[in-house]
Amino acid sequence: MTTDSIKALCLGLFTVGIAQTAMAADDPTINRLLASQCAQCHGTNGHAVGDMDGLSDESFKDLYEDLMDMQSEDRPEDIMDHQALGYTEDQIRRIALYFGTRSGKAGEVPEFGSEEKKEEEDEEDEKEYEEKDDD
Amino acid sequence: MNFNRRRFLQAFGASAAVAAVPSIAGAAEGTQGTHVVVVGGGFAGATAAKYLRMWSDKKIRVTLIDPKASHTSCVLSNLVLNGNITLNELTLSYDSLRSFYGVEVIRDHVTELHPDGAGVTLKNGGDLRCDRVVIATGIAFKKPQGDVNYKETPHAWIAGSQTKLLARQVRGLSAGDTFVMTIPKGPYRCPPGPYERACVVADMLQQKGGGKVFVLDENDGIQAEKATFSKAFGGLYSEIIEYVPNATVESVDSANHEVRADGRLYAGDVVNIIPRQRALWFVRKAGLTKGGDGWAPVDPLTYASTVPGFENVHVIGDSQTSYQPKSAHMANSQAKVCADAIIRSLAGLPNDSLERKQNITTNSACYSPITSDEASWLTVNYAYDTAAGRMMKVHGGEAEEWSRESYQEMFAWASNLFTDSFH
Repeated sequence: MTTDSIKALCLGLFTVGIAQTAMAADDPTINRLLASQCAQCHGTNGHAVGDMDGLSDESFKDLYEDLMDMQSEDRPEDIMDHQALGYTEDQIRRIALYFGTRSGKAGEVPEFGSEEKKEEEDEEDEKEYEEKDDD
Repeated sequence: MNFNRRRFLQAFGASAAVAAVPSIAGAAEGTQGTHVVVVGGGFAGATAAKYLRMWSDKKIRVTLIDPKASHTSCVLSNLVLNGNITLNELTLSYDSLRSFYGVEVIRDHVTELHPDGAGVTLKNGGDLRCDRVVIATGIAFKKPQGDVNYKETPHAWIAGSQTKLLARQVRGLSAGDTFVMTIPKGPYRCPPGPYERACVVADMLQQKGGGKVFVLDENDGIQAEKATFSKAFGGLYSEIIEYVPNATVESVDSANHEVRADGRLYAGDVVNIIPRQRALWFVRKAGLTKGGDGWAPVDPLTYASTVPGFENVHVIGDSQTSYQPKSAHMANSQAKVCADAIIRSLAGLPNDSLERKQNITTNSACYSPITSDEASWLTVNYAYDTAAGRMMKVHGGEAEEWSRESYQEMFAWASNLFTDSFH
């Protein structure tokens, strides 16, 4: 096994671990309440009417990643870029998990962490490996 | 009828066939046999009634009391002025709350609040006993100095016959005529609303060949969407709109269509007086506005009154004060926090855990028509700040420019807001 594949495996187990612990630990009415704050525009329980995106069929992974992407726009422009900036990363996880659980699409767990953070982490990891190589 | 309106009506007429929601057992079970009375059937009250029933798995008995048979939305009501929408299209019935969610709707006035929310007295129907009271009675007006008659110089700040009256008046304006409007010292209902109205009327006058719109603002500057409205007033409508900040209204003479503000007399062919606002007389009489400067101070974790002796009385929407703007979207948002808190409290769950405190959020999004077929938008998010112990604005943004696309989105936004609150 290469170091890269070990690293990938460890990271994979680690993120699944976080998600499951978090799911078990979340107070359920709190996630429901957070998610209900999307309903003014996206419909009760995500069932939108008219020309508006619904959320009722969204998966945990897609919704989490979409919201994190909107949040990390260099120049927020769309109304949702701004709305997404109103939430912490953990709140976004809770909202996405609520809709994903309701739609039966919470199985695939997103990679937590914003793009920037992930890049920083990757760089740090790389440094660590480089140092090890030096040894 | 244009495409947008047709879509709007379709969506709205469809009434949300929202599937029954699986309850969160721990919270719902403990609420069996309890009763919550909601006073006021606007956006705040309707949302609270609906979500209390939905989230308690219909275990909590919910009674909604309003003197009117239906609610008329202030949201989009500036479009009644230019005829882009009718008041009928803004009429929101309580039928879905009644038939789908099992809310008991009583058409009556509440005359008295029993000690600590143990019940209410109705004007026509005696006493109702309950475990919690939710007050969502909106705004009342402070009478300006002078001789004010809203049948001559309408406020049109509670939608309905007043909107119809102002619409009739502004449609009667001719080229070269003058429209005078006053904007009250904050806080008032719908911060961007008056500026939006100024744009709608200026657009109508421009299409007729020009005229004058005096915007007399008691505040020291534009209160919402400052970039957008500054651009509209100073650019698109620079020939028509004269914006006057710090224009404290000294007296109103409705019969002569005159307003004296900041020492200057303004006369208009149509005069729109939006007066200063506070909570309803019933809320003030009960003692709920103590320390709130005319509004009811509340704990934003639960929207329970912070006035001692009123722990089981919750106040949501425009009547309360908690560092958040007064809007229908925000009222809906607060109603959900309140419904969650009541269910948890009736089920014996705490509302002040760190986890809950860190996740109390509200938001407001709003589209404003700038011309007859273009709109702008604004958005703002609030979150509970555990250190400060209150709601704080965490982010806000507004559209970089008004557009036809946003005008279309405005109808999608409104129909979802209407549906989430009333259907």
